[in-house]
Amino acid sequence: MDSAEAFPLRRSVPWRVLDTEALVVDVKGGLLYPLNSVGARIWELCDGARSVDEIVGVVAGEFAASEATIRADAVEFIERLADANLVSIERRRKGESR
Amino acid sequence: MVFRVTGLGAPERRWAEERYAPFVSRRAPSVTVEVAATERYRPGRAPRPVATWSNGHFALASYPSRADGDLARRRVRFRVGPGPALNPELFRLLCGFLLMREGGFLLHASAVVDHGRAWAFSGPSASGKTTIAGLAGDRQVLNDETVAFRPVPGGFTACATPFYGSGGPTMARANARAPLRALCFLRKADRFAHRRLTPAEVVARAFPEVMLPKRDPRVAERLLASLAALAEATPVYELAFAPRAELWDYLDGLG
Repeated sequence: MDSAEAFPLRRSVPWRVLDTEALVVDVKGGLLYPLNSVGARIWELCDGARSVDEIVGVVAGEFAASEATIRADAVEFIERLADANLVSIERRRKGESR
Repeated sequence: MVFRVTGLGAPERRWAEERYAPFVSRRAPSVTVEVAATERYRPGRAPRPVATWSNGHFALASYPSRADGDLARRRVRFRVGPGPALNPELFRLLCGFLLMREGGFLLHASAVVDHGRAWAFSGPSASGKTTIAGLAGDRQVLNDETVAFRPVPGGFTACATPFYGSGGPTMARANARAPLRALCFLRKADRFAHRRLTPAEVVARAFPEVMLPKRDPRVAERLLASLAALAEATPVYELAFAPRAELWDYLDGLG
């Protein structure tokens, strides 16, 4: 994934933040995804306006871990969300509008 | 909630009033169910039960019976085939929709009233719901399989339902309710232990045990909100328990 040109967007699925964690419901698959605090924050940031790079920057400013670790985890997590069809990933250059 | 059932002949009415007593009454109902025996079995494989809900109007189908209505008008039509005049599966879904309108839900759970407040026990089949109901002694059992939760200021109320489990009809004798003291998700063990669950754990554990068509996104959205409210207002535990009467002393000690 080119993290500067990939813009993840949450699908319209039921979800809810509970304290710092979150739950996402895949109604079609009949599955419930519990997200820890980092996962919940990444999920919230997948708004289609931020690139993966920008999401990593926000998360790195809020959680105590190296940016390299956060980048690796965030990219893997977003790819898993995309595999589960819970986010779509638009590819465009920064500054391009949707 | 109390239901009035119309449109039945005398034998079917007797069956419904016996099966669902004391939740069926001819007077002062919460909802009127008009039953019409119009559907017939057709050869072939039965389709899966379906349910749709939109702006208070709902439609349910559990072959060969169907139900639809406007919950705001508190009037529902059941078109039924051969078999029970009030298909229990449809009736349970109807109750689930009625509760959903007020932020409540039907949970796969047993509940026992102790010192005026209800302990509810949830979990999948064979987790111990009926076992605990059987340990109630003189305490009132609200149900051993299905309990209604209704929001009230400051918490939730646990209400009896007519949808009993392997404990049989004796587990659904009274249309009673009590303020909810706590909800426990059960695990059978040799000794007692407990752990308080986080709000996210509460919702994740309760969601699969709620009796509603959760593949409808609007239903799932509402249910997440109701369960979040429960998690905020009520202590919820994971409870490992041994099937012994000391259970009630142990629960007393949870504070």
